[in-house]
Amino acid sequence: MRAFNHINAATLDGASDALKRGGAVALAGGGDLLGALKDDIFPTYPKTVVNLKSIPELEYITAEGDTLKIGALTTLADIARSSVVTENADILALAAGRASSPSLRETTTIGGNLCQLPRCWYFRKLNNRFDCARKGGDRCFAVTGDNRYHSVFGGAVFETAPGVKRTCVAVNQGDLAPVLTVLGAKLKTTERVIDAGDFFGVGVLTATVLNCGEILTEIQIPINGARKSRYKRFAFRKSIDFPVINLAISVDGENNYRICLGGVAPVPYIAAQAETLLAGRAITEELAEKAGLAAAEGAKPYEANSYKVQLIKTLVKRELLAF
Amino acid sequence: MPMETTRVGTSLKTASEQAAATIAAMPAYPKSIRCPICQRQCLTYAELADHYAAEHPDSVAPVAVTLNVNGKACALIFEPHLTLKHVLQFHLGLTGAKEMCDRGACGSCTVIMDGKPTLSCNILAAECEGKVIQTVEGIAVIPKWKPLIDAYCKWDAMQCGYCTPGFLVAAKVLLDRNPHPTEQEINEALSGNICICGTQPRHSQAILEAVLVMAEGSDG
Repeated sequence: MRAFNHINAATLDGASDALKRGGAVALAGGGDLLGALKDDIFPTYPKTVVNLKSIPELEYITAEGDTLKIGALTTLADIARSSVVTENADILALAAGRASSPSLRETTTIGGNLCQLPRCWYFRKLNNRFDCARKGGDRCFAVTGDNRYHSVFGGAVFETAPGVKRTCVAVNQGDLAPVLTVLGAKLKTTERVIDAGDFFGVGVLTATVLNCGEILTEIQIPINGARKSRYKRFAFRKSIDFPVINLAISVDGENNYRICLGGVAPVPYIAAQAETLLAGRAITEELAEKAGLAAAEGAKPYEANSYKVQLIKTLVKRELLAF
Repeated sequence: MPMETTRVGTSLKTASEQAAATIAAMPAYPKSIRCPICQRQCLTYAELADHYAAEHPDSVAPVAVTLNVNGKACALIFEPHLTLKHVLQFHLGLTGAKEMCDRGACGSCTVIMDGKPTLSCNILAAECEGKVIQTVEGIAVIPKWKPLIDAYCKWDAMQCGYCTPGFLVAAKVLLDRNPHPTEQEINEALSGNICICGTQPRHSQAILEAVLVMAEGSDG
């Protein structure tokens, strides 16, 4: 890492102001940012790192009425161990307990997990070797390059500059993103409250729709006693690995399914066709297989990642039958 | 009978003696305060800060931080972008936590911070003020944990030994939280550590034996 100014933010407003000044990045658990700084992947090295961990009262887990509230600085290990989370949103505890490794989970936070940058190897290449679209460059190298871990549902089109549209096919590989999407979570920031399904976005050096200086503060999950849910991650290694694909499914008392896949599209992919197919019906083996096909409907894999389409079909079918 | 295998190196010191010597050599105050850019000698941190403001206004000034490492408070002056791993090694002389991947993916640099296993390569030292930090040296000097180190030597749970301190620290945290772990719980607790030599199966053997020895010791 090269030198940067380090600010311990005392309040959210102070942190927002420091971030808005430009050349500044926010640091929570450090699982994502410190690696990015060591690899020097940013087009311009940040002048200032704003430490959010010094802001008090952002680390809590409470169940108030019909809402489970989790502070953005709560570590993944605390979420995985919490009996409150296990009782009210078991797949969140499960997914938090599978992310990265035991010692990393003790420091990395839920807010950081949701805001993490993509793990595309062109984007992450040492010393900013590839000036890709996601960094404001001209092209996405993965489209014609090695795209075995990239999107199978096409790229995301976004503006790198006013009027300049570019595509990025890197996926959102976070463990918690699909889980919070199917649980219908609301994410509270310093400026507004955003549905988890709308929170993730694609932009230059960002994987969320947060504005400059906007900070995620709280995750609010509706508690529903009749809800059942499942989470499955497929990764090449059990520990210290990002999922190639992960899948969260929840179903309420009236058999309304919510299915969300991570690792297949630039933002967590809601399998709407499969949800429509399953609505109000009891699961049979035939229906589960059809739902798997429906979830993969519209997939356009690149040269090296068609295996992900088969993974989608199989995982959706298996997890539906496992309810 | 004390096991010969606990003797390390050619100094004929036991692991705990060597660790105690390393901890005793940790400087409680910086020996000299020098400007890292122009090597100018300063007497106090305040003088260094003034010197930076006057001479190097565009550079990042070092910060003064007191770290509580292995029960010793150490006042340090370093640049804010340094990781805890770097400061432990180059400012305090603690070489137990090893740098392997430097990305939080291998566990070789694990230390204990406030009772939790923490990757020292993945945390800024400037953010560790007020935390209770224990490294593998701090574990080696506690007689309670001698059976664990002996068991690691007896079962030869290492080849090149580079990753071993990280494993030992992770094992200590596990035994603190759960004094009687099953083999599966051990494997889960050590799943954040990577040994490229492939000694993983030996670790659970060593820890299971250490658990037995420690239980006997506490009964007597």
